Amino acid sequence: MAATSMAAALAASLPAPTAAPAPAAPTYEAIPPSMSKVIDIEAEIPLQVVQLDGLVVTKILKHSREASSATVHGLLLGLDLDGTLEVSNSFALPHHVSDEDEKSSKSSARYQASMLRSLREVQADDSVVGFYQATSLGAFFNQNLVEIQAIHQDKLRHGGVVIVHDLSLTARGNASFRAFRLTPSFLDAYKKANFSTASLVNHRLTFSSILEEVPLQVRINPLLGSFLGSLTKSTPSLLPNSAPESARNSNLPPSFSALDLGTTGLTRNLEQIIEAVDNYRTEEGNLAYLSRQIARERARADNYVAKRKEENLARVAQDLAPLPEEDVARLFKIPAEPSRLESMLILGQIDAYGKSLESTASSGLIKMYGVRSI
Amino acid sequence: MALGGSSAVHIQSSTLSSSPATPRTPSSITIHPVALFSILDHYLRRTDDQPRVIGTLLGTRSADNTTIHVRSSFAVLHSENDEQVAVDMEYHRTMYELHSRVTPKETIVGWYSTGSNLNTYSALIQNFYSQETAPHQAIHVALNTGAEEGEEAGVQAYVRCVSLRLTGNARVVGTGNRYDTERDLLSSPVGVFPKPENCIFVPVPVRLQFQDAERSGLDLLTQTAIAPTLTTPQPTPSIAHLDATLASVSQMLDRVLAYVRQVLSGEVQGDKALGRYLMDTLGVGAIGEKGGEDKAFNASLQDTLMISYLANLVRAQAEVSSRLALVTS
Repeated sequence: MAATSMAAALAASLPAPTAAPAPAAPTYEAIPPSMSKVIDIEAEIPLQVVQLDGLVVTKILKHSREASSATVHGLLLGLDLDGTLEVSNSFALPHHVSDEDEKSSKSSARYQASMLRSLREVQADDSVVGFYQATSLGAFFNQNLVEIQAIHQDKLRHGGVVIVHDLSLTARGNASFRAFRLTPSFLDAYKKANFSTASLVNHRLTFSSILEEVPLQVRINPLLGSFLGSLTKSTPSLLPNSAPESARNSNLPPSFSALDLGTTGLTRNLEQIIEAVDNYRTEEGNLAYLSRQIARERARADNYVAKRKEENLARVAQDLAPLPEEDVARLFKIPAEPSRLESMLILGQIDAYGKSLESTASSGLIKMYGVRSI
Repeated sequence: MALGGSSAVHIQSSTLSSSPATPRTPSSITIHPVALFSILDHYLRRTDDQPRVIGTLLGTRSADNTTIHVRSSFAVLHSENDEQVAVDMEYHRTMYELHSRVTPKETIVGWYSTGSNLNTYSALIQNFYSQETAPHQAIHVALNTGAEEGEEAGVQAYVRCVSLRLTGNARVVGTGNRYDTERDLLSSPVGVFPKPENCIFVPVPVRLQFQDAERSGLDLLTQTAIAPTLTTPQPTPSIAHLDATLASVSQMLDRVLAYVRQVLSGEVQGDKALGRYLMDTLGVGAIGEKGGEDKAFNASLQDTLMISYLANLVRAQAEVSSRLALVTS
């Protein structure tokens, strides 16, 4: 499966956790007292907010728009300072073909390593702080994301974040980026690879408690800000008597795509809900089948034990040596309880689709009344 | 949407009739914002002793080679001083190879540098990149960051011409004497011999180009640029976004209304062209019968409400289902 080998490739390429932060080597100057509070070599200050640079915003947009495949991944590079994780650069990961093997995952690791090395040479940030993923209609829950993020939280300083970019919202004129990390309780369950009902209850896991959202800010540096300012400045056209569209020249004319009344995404959204619900039903069917099987096996085992006990009672009454009782486990193989991770993730997807449908509908309602009032 | 100054000239190559093997000179260039932003980032991260930074431009060519779309860029190490210029070629090749794994369609189309001074070294670097892009011409994009006083931020693109008749303000760069553009170039095919350090940079019109879907990202950045702290929190709910857009529309309507009132009261001389545009715009809404509109509105309203109800139902079911999974017998 593509997901696992990709995760393996990521794991292979990531630096060991001790290598990631710049250690206070003796050659460095002493940290000035004003900075000593904000620099934490031991990564003790918890992450408060993720700051996304303007460059990264455009890079993610371009990559996710151009990519041919549905899922788009890339690595985020940056630094953390006083609880703020500054993401200052990113690069795209090559798309994986389906016939995945050991070799291509190795080459992916090589790709990342040499990219990081190259970026370091031109003084760009070269420490991996997380990865990004593009999604549509808000449904970003999948095994792949969870796996990569679990590896990151293990290996990276501060655990890293995943930034989710929603394509469909962006197309509707509202560029959307959200930052997430796995909750500790999910990570604990994931490490034990135990998603049985009991474990879910112990960790209080539902789909809404898999990921926790980290506040995200978009930041641009002053140079970029001034450059954008000169881009958006509009100048009167040189041509006299031109049409209103061309009367003023601007590199970035104002856009009002948010006011679009069309409901193009809506049918797609509904289709996806139906698909996700179907997936969920299949998954539930599997689970029910497995749990029935478990119940059957267990009943047979119990029967056997009860019978053996009765027999033993009879034998004791006849002053005979009781038969051994401990071979039950050997005779009956009770299958392990199935993992509920997949069904949980699908539920999360359904929820996300529902949410995006709801927001589309509500803003559609406002737009309709807006049009009516004109 | 022309970027930068208006000094770009359309050139007519006198070598059009010559060998068809040489592809045509690009006559227009489009740039994706991500390329520009990478250049700015590279400029910010330069070391103190670097007066300018250079890098490679990646992109695609149109079928007839007249338009070049610059899609992305990466930084290349280089050093220059009074005596020599050095570009890390190995680095350039490695980066290109890495980039082409993700975006195989993008090829090397040229190079960029910051600042607007073209000198002999520019010609040398241009010469190198021409070898990389052969048989096509390499383009050169000069991005003025506006960081120095008195310089305005902007983008200029150039192509190199070996033998051309020029009618504009091409920049000639070479060792020895500078050519007087007006006189020498007009009178004869340029007497620059194909030595690597001799070169004419001819400006080409350049535009900013991106897909509509990427537009909202740029909007987000421009909003951030006006914010006092240069940051904006994310994600913004779509309702808030809609609210902002509606507010700006209503502001525009107010402006138009104020203008119309001024014209009516005679304070301002009315612009006839403007009046016609206003009439056209407002006339669109009045077409159609009253009853049919109501019907359509009601039908659409019911659909929307149904969808909203459905969405809530689905979410509630999902929530219940996930809670039920936690209930053990």
